[in-house]
Amino acid sequence: MTHLDRHDTDILIIGTGGAGLFAALHAQQSAPAGTRITIAVKGLIGKCGCTRMVQGGYNVALGGGDSVERHFMDTIKGGKWLPNQDMAWKLCEQAVVRIHELENEIGCFFDRNADGTLHQKAFAGQTADRTVHKGDLTGIEIISRLMEQVLARPVEKLQEHRAIGLIPTRDGSALAGVLFIDMRTGGFRLVRAKTVLMATGGGPTMYKYNTPSGDKTMDGLAMALRAGLELRDMEMVQFHPTGLLAGDHTRMTGTVLEEGLRGAGGQLLNGAENRFMFDYDPKGERATRDVVSRAIYAEMRKNNTSVNGGVFISMAHLGPENVRAKFPGMVKRCADSGFDLAGGLVEVVPTAHYFMGGVVVDPDTRTAMEGLYVAGEDAGGAHGSNRLGGNGVANSTVYGGVAGDVMGADIRTMGALRDPCPNALQAEIDRALHPLTRQPAPVHPLRVALQEAMWDDVGVMRTATGMERGLTRVAEISEALMNVGVAGDNLSFNLTWHDWLNLRSLCDVSKAITLAGLARENSRGAHYREDFPDEGDLDASYYTVITQAGCDLNVRRDPVQFTIIRPGETILPENEPETLVAAQ
Amino acid sequence: MTRSSEMLHVTVQRGTAQDPRKQRFDVPARENQTVLDVVSWIQQEVDPTLSYRFACRVGMCGSCAMMVNGVPRWTCRTHVSRVAESGQLDIAPLRNLPVIKDLATDMDPFFDKWVAAEGRHHPTRGRLEEFDPIKPDDPNRVEANLGIECINCGICYAACDTVAGNPDYLGPAALQRAWTLLNDSRDADRSGILAAVSGKGGCHNCHSMGSCAQYCPNGLNPMRAIAGLKRETVKAALRWKRDA
Repeated sequence: MTHLDRHDTDILIIGTGGAGLFAALHAQQSAPAGTRITIAVKGLIGKCGCTRMVQGGYNVALGGGDSVERHFMDTIKGGKWLPNQDMAWKLCEQAVVRIHELENEIGCFFDRNADGTLHQKAFAGQTADRTVHKGDLTGIEIISRLMEQVLARPVEKLQEHRAIGLIPTRDGSALAGVLFIDMRTGGFRLVRAKTVLMATGGGPTMYKYNTPSGDKTMDGLAMALRAGLELRDMEMVQFHPTGLLAGDHTRMTGTVLEEGLRGAGGQLLNGAENRFMFDYDPKGERATRDVVSRAIYAEMRKNNTSVNGGVFISMAHLGPENVRAKFPGMVKRCADSGFDLAGGLVEVVPTAHYFMGGVVVDPDTRTAMEGLYVAGEDAGGAHGSNRLGGNGVANSTVYGGVAGDVMGADIRTMGALRDPCPNALQAEIDRALHPLTRQPAPVHPLRVALQEAMWDDVGVMRTATGMERGLTRVAEISEALMNVGVAGDNLSFNLTWHDWLNLRSLCDVSKAITLAGLARENSRGAHYREDFPDEGDLDASYYTVITQAGCDLNVRRDPVQFTIIRPGETILPENEPETLVAAQ
Repeated sequence: MTRSSEMLHVTVQRGTAQDPRKQRFDVPARENQTVLDVVSWIQQEVDPTLSYRFACRVGMCGSCAMMVNGVPRWTCRTHVSRVAESGQLDIAPLRNLPVIKDLATDMDPFFDKWVAAEGRHHPTRGRLEEFDPIKPDDPNRVEANLGIECINCGICYAACDTVAGNPDYLGPAALQRAWTLLNDSRDADRSGILAAVSGKGGCHNCHSMGSCAQYCPNGLNPMRAIAGLKRETVKAALRWKRDA
């Protein structure tokens, strides 16, 4: 029998991005005195994960003509009528409170106008200057301030603890606790809690080019699948059009070159150094992320590519000095990596950025399993088929706070800690130990193979034939992984063991993405079917729901409930202009 | 620029603090290659037991900071061609912190000191109140902004000889955070911050050697911030004496 450490707490939070840290603070405010709160994270508190990497900013309607209604309409239209409208509404409404909390209580300082009011700008898809920001490093300000608030509070901290299994009670009716690996020692730790928030963040890193933090491997959604929870919108993977392309051997590849470069007049050039965006869209480089990603991908398929197989972004015609002044962070980052963004050509490629799909939750973050709550990128519904730039951090901080409030209230009516099902617990331990029972072999080539398969067959542009092929490739890689072992003589900080577990999660979720992609026979937002290029009947909009039973995944289509507004309608007052943003 | 046919001769510190040892690896040089890529290549291709830490890959989180040829650096943003003189790289865990294993350090002491320096906002307003209308050219705000881009990577802490000699010293990053808060007109606990930074491990330990400013990858100047704290703590002490 493997040794198992045990830790009991009242409220357990998994993840320390915007959702996890806000949940910890709000749980502390709402729970009865003496409540034990534990926060666990795969890396270091506030350092891993993606909230820190937010460049653009935080969408919130703060007047000046903008309104919660307008923010809501942009979110619904951006999500192509697939969002859960009650969640989208709460996101827009509560963002107003949360941004004040971030400034006034947490201590963030956002950029100001000359008169001292908050500066706001408009991203693509927005009809008002709405995005609050701190330069182009908004995430660092938000997460550093949240992190120091949480560090200073009596919250129990489990750093470099990766969650590997949601352990239900014996009858399966509720969550009893979560199994972790203490990555520093390599030992197992079971944490029992009355309420658990899963806020591990999504992060579609099963693609050849991807932007998320290196620790992100969809562990949360893989655990949710095994626990039998419903996942929605799993086909919805957002690609950012301009990831840095520097070769397959460098971790720099895939990292984001910001949206603002195109907004400011940056040009995309194909391998022959010709502009091509106007062949695809009258807005040229200023078209939305999905359109630009598809155009670049199309050029790549025609082999109109740069040295490393992408296209170029060119800023020099705007004047290198101007570019340096306007985008100092980006120019410096490129320079550190050996590229001249201000005066030269930099290779770019579409890159998997954000995952709109996630666990089915209600607007209070509750799931179908008693004791389990989900917020942030792990939760589905708020964005539908496409997330607007600036809505990601608003979503994680709003719903993290909501989860903290709700868990703090719910534990008042909960009795003792629940007992975990011993069989489920043992199954998860065995699952994690599996690679240690096989002959050691390299794990990395399989990760590369999965990323190639998903990029080729379930990527920017999809077909039934491609996705069927992708399904087979994912299954082969998945099976091959089970025969790849990891030497188990020292499990302390054993990254290769975790690479194996990462790939396990990614294979499981990749299968779900592919099946959901096959089930959606139209093109909405991030999901583009070459064999079904139309968006379909908006009034008959459906979202995909996927569940795991045994080894099988079942997909169904549920009709979107238009609880607030139907396609073609608006909740804006009559005579409101379509947009408040001046044309560029 | 190193040519692709060349090899890098890399020395990596292995093991724990109790039994550190150096290990040699030959790593193929590539055109676009960071020190983090070198470390990753060793773990993925040669030695699956190598331990290190990274997260964002782009200089936003600071998780991958290590000593590179004796100098603390973000390995994700350090191009090999800039640091590998005649193809030699020496990589070790960040200085002044306990080693967990190989290149991964325990950053808790660094963050414990951040907390000890009162490094967090003390609110004067709540979430239902308006934003404080602070103008961007307000002199206090301008001063506070100088340190705001710190990502708490620990480079300055590793570079600081005073930290090396005095384990109680709060260190440049935590003190710079305190200075930022002291200049933030929204902060309610000026006296608490001054008390926190004037004690045994506080700002007066700084000998102004300037390694923090020299090595900060974001070009911040914690030494200047600490000088500000020294002035303010002395002024506060005089005031306290006078009022006593």
